[in-house]
Amino acid sequence: MISGLKLRRVFVVLCLLAASPAQAQTAWGLPQLMQSLAQTPSGSANFTERQTSPVLSAPLTSTGTLSFIAPNYLRKTTNAPAQEVFTLDHDQVTLTGGSGTHVFQINQDPRIAGMVEAIRSTLTGDLPTLQQYYTVTLSGDSSNWQLHLLPKGDALTRFLRAVTITGVANHITSIDTASADGSDSRMNITPADAP
Amino acid sequence: MRRKPLAIWLALLALCGLIAARSSYRTDMGDFLPHSASLAQQVLAGQVNGGAASHIVLVAIKGAPTPVLATLSQSLATQLRQQPEFLDVLNGDEDSFKAVQNYVWTNRYLLSPQVSAAEFSTTGLHSALQSDLSLLGSELGMALGASLPSDPTGEIFPLTKQLASGPGPTTQNGAWVSADGTAALLLVHTKAAGFDLDSQQQALVEIRAQFAKARTASPGAGGAILEMSGPGVFAVTTRDTTKQDVSRLSMLALLGAAGLLAFAYRSPRVLLLGLLPIASGAFAAIAAVSLAFGFVHGITLGFGVTLIGESLDYAIYLFTQTGRGEQGSDTLSRIWPTLRLGALTSIAGFCAMLGSSFTGFAQLGLFSIAGLVAAAATTRFVLPNLMPQGFFAPGAEPLARPVQFLLRHKHGARAALVTAFLAAIIALLLHRGGMWDTNLLNLSPIPTAQQQLDNTLRRQLGVSDQRYFAVFKAPDEQRALQMSEALAPKLNALVTAQVLSGFDLPSAILPSDQTQRARQAALPEATTLQANFAAAVKGLPFNPQAFVPFFRDVAAQKSAPLLTQASLSPALALQFDSLLTRNGPDWVVIIPLHNVTNPAAITQAGISFVDLNQQSDRLLATFQNQAVTLAVAGSLAILLILGFGLRSIRRVAAIAAPLAIAVTITAALLTLGDAKLSIFMVAGFLLIIAIGSNYCLFFERSAPDQPRAAASIVLANLCTVAAYGLLSFSRIPVLHDIGLTVATGTFLSLICGAILSTPKAAA
Repeated sequence: MISGLKLRRVFVVLCLLAASPAQAQTAWGLPQLMQSLAQTPSGSANFTERQTSPVLSAPLTSTGTLSFIAPNYLRKTTNAPAQEVFTLDHDQVTLTGGSGTHVFQINQDPRIAGMVEAIRSTLTGDLPTLQQYYTVTLSGDSSNWQLHLLPKGDALTRFLRAVTITGVANHITSIDTASADGSDSRMNITPADAP
Repeated sequence: MRRKPLAIWLALLALCGLIAARSSYRTDMGDFLPHSASLAQQVLAGQVNGGAASHIVLVAIKGAPTPVLATLSQSLATQLRQQPEFLDVLNGDEDSFKAVQNYVWTNRYLLSPQVSAAEFSTTGLHSALQSDLSLLGSELGMALGASLPSDPTGEIFPLTKQLASGPGPTTQNGAWVSADGTAALLLVHTKAAGFDLDSQQQALVEIRAQFAKARTASPGAGGAILEMSGPGVFAVTTRDTTKQDVSRLSMLALLGAAGLLAFAYRSPRVLLLGLLPIASGAFAAIAAVSLAFGFVHGITLGFGVTLIGESLDYAIYLFTQTGRGEQGSDTLSRIWPTLRLGALTSIAGFCAMLGSSFTGFAQLGLFSIAGLVAAAATTRFVLPNLMPQGFFAPGAEPLARPVQFLLRHKHGARAALVTAFLAAIIALLLHRGGMWDTNLLNLSPIPTAQQQLDNTLRRQLGVSDQRYFAVFKAPDEQRALQMSEALAPKLNALVTAQVLSGFDLPSAILPSDQTQRARQAALPEATTLQANFAAAVKGLPFNPQAFVPFFRDVAAQKSAPLLTQASLSPALALQFDSLLTRNGPDWVVIIPLHNVTNPAAITQAGISFVDLNQQSDRLLATFQNQAVTLAVAGSLAILLILGFGLRSIRRVAAIAAPLAIAVTITAALLTLGDAKLSIFMVAGFLLIIAIGSNYCLFFERSAPDQPRAAASIVLANLCTVAAYGLLSFSRIPVLHDIGLTVATGTFLSLICGAILSTPKAAA
């Protein structure tokens, strides 16, 4: 899988090189990606998340659904291994699961705010907010892009190493998160209406 | 004969000066409160004055875009943290909570209520790891990941929640900001308590200086401004205002009075001599209060001098009534009986204050009595000896003309007076909407704008003034902590029942020794723990090697020395001290209860609590009752003394009637001017009677051929109106109230006295 990803990257780079004169004319870049993401309608998707950590002897896999109502409502429902619902409504996060219900404001903690904005600002194409928390770079082309997010503040850096968001056109296909403690997670996203 | 009284006076003055110099002066409002106050009142007053709350400075930075405000907040916080004047600087950044987080993290197995032998058994650890696993998969997983190897049993999350008192303000760009983003907010704890004014002032100067530095250093921050509030800020502002007002106004008052007296006396020496009675009186008064109470209250000092203002009049009567070619000592012999009765009348009035349960008022009573006795004695024994030979006041006589005019039109004036009196009574009877000032804050010298700023900042920073407290006593510190621990389940049940949203227990910061030992005993030995863990992890996808930090920390805390007050960081120690204080031989636990929705349910749960609002209402009621009692008792005492002195009901009436009319009209005028009655106004009424009774006594005894008596009264009144009238321009409510009341009342006393007290023959 990793080698497949690498191969694909090489392919993307080759494509980019070959197409560079044309690219210069259409000038696809961060602003254009953000604009097309901003126009993305609300929708829902299925996800599979695979998590590794130094404390785990085997990876942890979870599945569920995601739904997004632009611009301020996001819900992640985990169905397996345990039922859990995470909702973001404006700036309020509600987490309902086995350990009860937790409610917090994302602005109370820069770590939560950073985590949430990585996803939400990408979904809404809000580059200024994204750049408030991350140094943002883009690779790939409009049909297959990778958004690399490097955390900015001390608090966030101490907790998060990097977030990579991969997408096709105006859809996000995966989110890779590398934590500072050595744990990683990869969430693959497939549209719910896809066959 | 001339030397002896002077020598005795100088010796006494020196003695009083010595006592005054060695007195202790206090400014706590707590010392002003009734000495019979309940435990709760005493403790809470102590809290207000010296408790953790008094160390708070609330800071807002405004006037720049939010990111610039955050930068300013950051550099201000960083600088202040390096200064010894500050225990704690919170601005929402990571360092804000470091000390508390480190303490809780390092000592989590001694602090956590969930520590038990069962928790560390194989079954306990297995279920903890299972819940860790489900949390890892959740959105909290990221936050949990880092602490999991050290804290698989999850002690830290509930502990942090328990010690964080409510959600703070929102964080933007790494700093606390107001909801609308227009202000960066900081919460500073000074090392000095709120009543330590010099240190507070130094701390405030330091904050301003560091802010100015940060503003210069930050681009785009040119328009940023700093706002501060809190008990220390209030205290310093009040002191500055008082200093400014008192020095400015008393300078003006002095100039006014000196101008009038200079016109009348035309002798600088006599002008200065006139100050001797009041100066001697003040020294004697301070000495007397210091000897009787062990300390002098700041309010007594500032306010007391205005109460013995009457003693300025003594010299005026003596100097002005000395006729051409008359010896000062002869004049004195002539006027002394009247002067003495006048002084005794005032003293009788102030005697009522001695009985007040408000220490401050009792002090004021004694201050006035001692001051007037000393001033009268100085007038009697010292002044005549120091008066220049052949002195008489050349400019005095024209001053009597307004009174002579009044006396010539006595019938018309009397009719006008009766009309005014009736109108005043009707106005008072028709007055609706409460004559008493029901807001204790109105007694406070703090301007409304600043009180509003304080409310706003407190709300934004989530440090609102607490209303409800659970309060109980214990014989020693350990018992107090055990009782606090025993209360936790009850209070938690009330939180679950939504009777309150939270509470702060001293035992959450520092558990009792007994509990700490029990927790240490519950922690297993290293080998047992590892064996239990190995068994617990079976069937779960965890890597046991990753949990070495957990084994290490449990072993360390099992054998660690118990936590004591010395283990607390300065900020935590301050908080702890506010929750558990010494009160004489007892230890008192004071537990703030947050957002109480149903006080009755707390009582039903068997927890005794104090409602601060109710306490201050009760205090206010006591204040009012005492004010009325003081006024009535004082008036009766005055009538009694007049009866003794004059031995004639008709003559007593000639003195008392004009005073009653003057006070009634004054009260009506004040309420028409929309002023509410405060206890200080009642003290003002007593003062009107004290000063006015002298006027009436002199009018009543003056012979028609003695314009000098009327002149001396007019001169005395002009000085009084000038001095107190100026006080009414003060921004400090106490001084404003007393100034307005006395200036109006004494002027009316002069008019009423002239019309009603002067014997028939004089007309």
